[in-house]
Formats: sequence, C-alpha cells, structure tokens
Amino acid sequence: MKSLLREPLIHFLCIGAALFLLFELFDDPAGPQSSRIVITDGQIEFLKASYARSRQRPPTEQELQGLIDSYVREEIFYREALALGLDKDDTIIRKRLNQKLELMSDDIAGITIPSGEQLQEFLETHAESFRTEPQVAFRHVFIDVAQRGYQADDEASKLLAVLSDEKSNSDPVTLGDRLMLPKTYILTPVGEIAKMFGKPFSLELINSKPGQWTGPVQSGYGLHLILVTEHVEGKLPQLDEIRETVEWEWSAAHRKELKENIYKEIREKYTIEFEQPTSNAGNFQAVSAAQAAQEKQQ
Amino acid sequence: MSIRNNLLKVFFLSLAMMSLPGGAIASDIGSPNLEVIKGLYPGNAYSPYAKRLFPSRVYWGETHLHTGLSLDAGLFGCTLGPEDAYRLARGEEIIASSGQPIKLSRPLDWLAVTDHSDIMGVATDIQNGAPNIMAIPKGKEWAEGFAKGGEAAAKAAFDLISHFSQNKIPEEILKQYSPGSPIYNKVWERIIKAGDHFNDPGHFTALIGFEWTSVPKGFNLHRNVILRDDGIRARQVVPLTTQPPIGTTDPLDLYQWLADYENKTGGQAFALAHNGNMSNGWMFPTVETYAGGKVDKNYVEQRAKWEPLYEVTQIKGDGEAHPYLSPTDEFADYETWEVGNLDITELKKPEMLKREYAREALKIGLALETKLGTNPYKFGMVGATDSHTGLTTAEEENFFGKSTSTEPSATRISHPFVETKLGSYPGYSLAASGYQAVWAMENTREAIFDAMKRKETYATTGPRMLVRFFGGWEFDDNDLRSRTPAFIGYEKGVPMGGDLTKAPKGKAASFMVFALRDPIGANLDRVQIIKGWLDKDGETHEKIYDVAVSDGRTIGANGRCKTPVGNTVDLEAANWTNTIGASELATVWTDPDFDPNVKAFYYTRILEIPTPRWVLYDKVRLGVKIPKEAKLTHQERAYSSPIWYTP
Repeated sequence: MKSLLREPLIHFLCIGAALFLLFELFDDPAGPQSSRIVITDGQIEFLKASYARSRQRPPTEQELQGLIDSYVREEIFYREALALGLDKDDTIIRKRLNQKLELMSDDIAGITIPSGEQLQEFLETHAESFRTEPQVAFRHVFIDVAQRGYQADDEASKLLAVLSDEKSNSDPVTLGDRLMLPKTYILTPVGEIAKMFGKPFSLELINSKPGQWTGPVQSGYGLHLILVTEHVEGKLPQLDEIRETVEWEWSAAHRKELKENIYKEIREKYTIEFEQPTSNAGNFQAVSAAQAAQEKQQ
Repeated sequence: MSIRNNLLKVFFLSLAMMSLPGGAIASDIGSPNLEVIKGLYPGNAYSPYAKRLFPSRVYWGETHLHTGLSLDAGLFGCTLGPEDAYRLARGEEIIASSGQPIKLSRPLDWLAVTDHSDIMGVATDIQNGAPNIMAIPKGKEWAEGFAKGGEAAAKAAFDLISHFSQNKIPEEILKQYSPGSPIYNKVWERIIKAGDHFNDPGHFTALIGFEWTSVPKGFNLHRNVILRDDGIRARQVVPLTTQPPIGTTDPLDLYQWLADYENKTGGQAFALAHNGNMSNGWMFPTVETYAGGKVDKNYVEQRAKWEPLYEVTQIKGDGEAHPYLSPTDEFADYETWEVGNLDITELKKPEMLKREYAREALKIGLALETKLGTNPYKFGMVGATDSHTGLTTAEEENFFGKSTSTEPSATRISHPFVETKLGSYPGYSLAASGYQAVWAMENTREAIFDAMKRKETYATTGPRMLVRFFGGWEFDDNDLRSRTPAFIGYEKGVPMGGDLTKAPKGKAASFMVFALRDPIGANLDRVQIIKGWLDKDGETHEKIYDVAVSDGRTIGANGRCKTPVGNTVDLEAANWTNTIGASELATVWTDPDFDPNVKAFYYTRILEIPTPRWVLYDKVRLGVKIPKEAKLTHQERAYSSPIWYTP
C-alpha cells in the first residue's frame, strides 16, 4: 500500500521538475534574473491568437506593436516586482500558487484508474456505505395516547391479547384508533420507516421477532402494537451490481487521500518553529526523529 | 369472460379517475356507483398499498438550492459543489464551507440543485484570482477584496451582486462565462454529472435544473427551471441566462426556451418563480409586465402552461399572505420581508403588495381568467430554502443560514442580509424555511416531476407534517371514520391541486382534510381552509375558516376560533412540550357560503403550536445577545396547493 501511495508523489515531483525545466529552458531564454528580454516567435503568435479570440479578427500591424509593447512593459514590471519581493506576503499570489499545486495533485489523481481488486477492497473496507438497508413488512394497530390518557396502556394489553389469540377472528384493520398512516406495509427499507414513524420505532421494529404481535412500541404519535410479517436483512451487493457507484466513491476518496499524502510527504521536509512558545504550537510538534537528527547535524 | 369485464371496469374507472372533478364525473359514462367502485378497488385486498392507483406517500425535498457554482454563493465563501449538496440531502454527514460538521435530522427523498445560470462558475475563479479574472480591472478589484477575506470579501461579494442586479457586469467577464464558452460548458457538465450520479431511482431523486435569475433593477423575478430528464437530454441545451447580449430578463423568452427544450429533446421541463415579496409589485402583473409586454391572452396562456408552481416560503421571507392585504388574518404576519426590492435600491410602497403575495395572486388569477380565458396564476405551493451554502437546512435547530457567512456563529445574527441607505434586512430576520412535500407514486424523477406538474404538493416552513386535502361534493363525517380515508378521498373527490367544476344541483363544495404532525416535531394548533373568490361585479374576496382546532376549543358561527392555542416554549432552554395541541387533526368541511355560480379556490393552512425560532437556539447554544426586535418563537405551518372551483 505504502509503495502505491508513494508512486503519485513521484509523479508529482517529476511533473514539478519537468515544468521547472520547461520554463527555465523555453519560456524566456534570458531568464528572469537577466536584463535581456527575448521575444520569441511563439510569444508573438500567442499574443496574436489571444487578440483574435476576443475581437474575432487578427490585430493590425500597429495593434500588434501595441500588444508587444505592453507585453514588454508587463515583463519588465514582473521582473522588477519579483526582484523587490512584491510576490511575498501577497494573499492572491499565495492562493493562486497553492491552487496550482492542488490542481496538479487532482490531475494526477484523475489519471489513476482503479483496478478491480482496488475497487473490491474499497467495497469491503467501506461496506457500511454500500450495504442495502434491512427491509421489514409489517402491520400495526395504533393506540392514541393523547385521546386515551392513562388508559392507553390498558387498552394496549387488551388489544394485544385479542391480536395474539389465534382463535379470535377479529380483523386487525378494525382495531385501535385512527391514524393517517397506512396500517399495512409491504417490504419497506428501515430508513423509510424511520422517516414516517421516527427512528426509535424503526429500530424496535427491526428487532422484533417476525410472526407474532408484540408491543406496545412508542412512535412520535403514540403506541403501536406491531406484527412483523417479513424481515429481509440488508446485504452487501456484488461489485458488478454497483461498480459505477464504487468507482465514484473511490475516486472522491482517492483525490482526498492523495492530496493529504502529498502534503504529508512534503511536510516531512519542514520543521516549524515559534519565536516564542505559544499555545498554538501544540499542533506543530509532530517533528519526526529523522528531522530532529538532520537539524542536529546542521 | 369475467376477467374481461373486470378489465373493462378498471378501464372505465381509470377514465373516471382522470377526469374526476368531484360530482361532475364525466357524464358520458354515467354516474358512478360507489359500491361498484369500492368492490373494484384493491382496498379490500390483504395489502391495500400494493396495487393502488394513487400516491400513498409523500416525498420530501426542495427545488431551490445553490452551491459554490453560483456566483454570489461562491463569493460568500461557499466551497461546496452539487456533489456535496446531494450527499447531505441523502443523509450523509459532511463538512460545511465554514468547517463545521453537519447532518440532517433525517434524509430528504429528493433534491434539485439550482445554481444561478449567469456567469456560473465565475465565483471560484474570482476566489482563486484566476489569470483571466485578474486581467480585468473590476475582476481584479473583486478578487483582491476576496483574498483579504472577512469584511472586505463580503463587500466585494455584495458589490458584485449589485453589479449583476443592475446589469453592470464587465462585458469581458460575461463573455468568458457565457453559455457556449468552454468554461461554462464544463460547469454545466459538472451539474449534469452530479445529478445523474446521485439519482438513485426508488431511493433518492436528483433533479437537474438551474435558476434563471431575472432581476431587472433589483426587482426579484427569479425563476427556477426543473428538468424531468437525465443528462442525455440536459446536455443538448445550455441554461438560459439573463445578462445581455445572450441573456434575457423577459419571462416570455424563458417560456420560449422551455418550449425549445421540449421540442428539441423530447423531454419535459417547467419553471417556478419565487420571492415576489422582493419584486416591488412585478411578480404577478395584471396589466403590463416589467419587460414591457402586456398581460394579454398570450402572456396568461404561456405563464399558466410553464409555471405550474410558485415558491411560497423560503429563507428570504414567507410569501403566502401579507397583513396589509389580509388585515383579519392574525397569522398573516409570518416571516414578513417588506422593506423593498432585493438590493434595497427602491423601497416598498403598500400598493405594490397586491402583486407580490400568493394568496392575492390566486385571487387576481380568477379575475384574469374571466377577462382573458386562462388563469395565469393557477399554481401549486412550494417551500424551499434558496440557501446559498450547498446545505438544504430548513429546521430551526439545525439552520445553517442563507450564505456561508451566516453559517452558525456568534455574530451571524448581527450581520444584516442587505443594508443600504434606504433600509435593511437584518440578520435575525432570515427564515429557516422551507421544504416541499410531493404526493408521488414512487421516488423517481418522472413520478416526482409529474406530481409537481399536477400540483399534488404542499409547502411547509420546515417541519414534515403529513397533509391530505380532498375536495368533492359528497364528503361527510362517515368518510372521516373510514379506516382508509385516502381511498375515499380519491374515490369521491380530487386531491390538492385539482379542479372541481359545475356543482351538482343543490350541492355545496365539501372538503376532507387530514393533518398529522411531524413524527419528531411539534403538535398542531389548527387546520384552516382559506377561500378566495370572484364576485359577480368582478371583485375578489377572501375568507379564512378554522375547520379543526385542538384542545377542545370551539369554532364560532363566523367560522373562526380566536382562542390561541397557548405557548409552552421555554425561552431559557429553547425547548417546548407537546402538552398542548393535537398530533392529528382531521375534518370534513362543507363551504357554508358556497355559490355554484362563483369562481373560487380553496387551500388548507396547517399551523403548529408555537416553537422556538432559530435565533433562540443561537442564544442558548452560542450565548448570543439577541436584538429586541427579533422574534423568538413562531408557529410553523404547511400550505397545500389549492383546489379550484369553476362553474
């Protein structure tokens, strides 16, 4: 696992190095520290193209001269500003650079296609988010506590006796008090039952033994006698049934994890020090032994 | 042979159901015999809910939620996208943009993410100071403000929204973030992908949509657009925007866009408006539209066709009724926002209110129908949050505000939502509202969309109470005692959103209404039926009837119960008890003043007992000082879609 995670970091560093070289070699042959500015043909093409994009026509000779002049001006100011250190402590520049680095990490995450084994492992280690809900089919008889007050419990035991009596032929639908909700439910996911009756009720229901009337069970509305007629356990689907969903979740987790890992790896290179011990320092004490040793040498 | 007969019966029954305007059941199949229908009905089967022909469940959700892709939401610090919004709605715990963990008390069943279509995606680029933004002076100014954070960021955001609502966004930004540009297409693709991914038929429905934010001169004429379809169709179009040159603020152009969408893709879509309370008299026009058109035959037909619903309650205030328009309605002054238009560049005048509130619009609609042949304001009721946090929170004790800057904090109450020289919408006046309940056959895009189109929906200000409302000619108290009232409701009448026509001789319209409180919420105070009608002289009227009240209170001969239900709210603990009120209220009510020759509508309003407003939870949990003017308790409510009577 560890070696797998390291791999993207190597990608990351290689891309970084390549970009650095690219800019060093081709962007401006004279380099930012030099006092020479070389305008390449490529740059002129680029200026022409951006102009054409916004105006729907190429620039005239005169306009091109203007574009080049302002490019030169921009480049000079850019270099002078860098030389004066104006990029330091500028929140926008910092943010933008941070964002570019993060985009690089996202791009790397994007090119990784998970293998079947990786998805299978993800499915198993995150089983709780992919498992289907348990389902219950049930009937219930409602006892209105607000209406019956202290007699509600008595009424509940009386009705439970009637319902449990196999010789009795009274129809449960005719028993109990009125409630707007249906009296009979076909197989329904436990979460849906919770939405209608409240969570405690749904948990009671799922723990009841099928085939016999029990209760009373309390809901947000009052008391219920319940009969579970069918109970289907939740199950973890096969990867093939939900491959697209697992892939989506894997990618979201992978992006996050990669960003964190890259940060952690780079973070290893740094030591954080405080001018004065502060209460905030607590967050920064995770200095590795390797770092401490390195520091000693210096 | 008998199977064939039964099939025939079922066929004719379905015909009857389709055109079932109460007693006026299509006369060409004869008058239905209730006993026959009962025998036919699966209600007598062991599992009556297995093969029903009508919805037996409500599905909760909302049609109005913004994420960081909306320019103002992003500028106010929202970093969540549609993916996060769907995760929270389906019940997952996520981290809000302010860094706080959040989870809903229980999942929603469906959600439409509706980001502003104009310059969608620009917010994140301004936040990050993207090079193309920094190249534009105004863009640079905003980006710098944003980078400074705090107050400066909020100012930048507000300045940007003002520029937007005053049509002054720099042309270069518009061009880069307009439909058709590569940046824009990428954002639309992301919205579609998220919708398709999180749509899980039978469990959770993710609707694809956007907000068409028409706000000329700060007059709120916004419409949300909801698609019935998946990405295959959604990809064939790009959202309509409002900023010139490509966009338009005229609703007639939006109707054309909707028609084009349907013709081009074979899909379906509709629009729904919101916040008439900030339109300064332009939401429900009667003579001229703000865009300069006339309220003529074409306008009323188009509006009726494309706008079946209206969002009646949300964070920026409740728009059902206004105390100025309904002076005898003691519940009308609820979460009222009445200072001016959206950005308070123009103050409200009382004469504007008539064309801003839902109840009044329903009345005006009857008059326009008489004049022009179509009722343009024949809409069903919708509650939504319009939250700009990616978080669909409408519960008082779990309210994450309007924008990221109003996610829970000790200071959110003291920051006004908008403040100008003319006035302000104070921070404590935000309403933690609302959700929409849809009576649909199943939890799929198609079923939920279709239910919305037939207006079988109701709005709540956040709680999830269950409301059934049927109108017909034959309801009596025996129906109430029936053990499966919904069967009787559909057999003998029409549900909310339906029509009654041509009263049978000697009959008055009767209504059956059931309300069951939220299983984890507050008891109910009362059930009301609100009637509006158009008299022979073309004047409109309204009347409120209390039809069922709790705690043995009496309803007077005038149809009202003026005794309040009481108040159990503990202001120190932000708590209440269900020792007053009723968990269920149900009644059959016959209109005592029914006139078969008069056009009318009826809808039900259900009131809860008083409970704490969100500010009280802030006070108790965060130790915040609350201004005197802030209301601490309120009575949350549900509004059903109306049932219309047309002679």
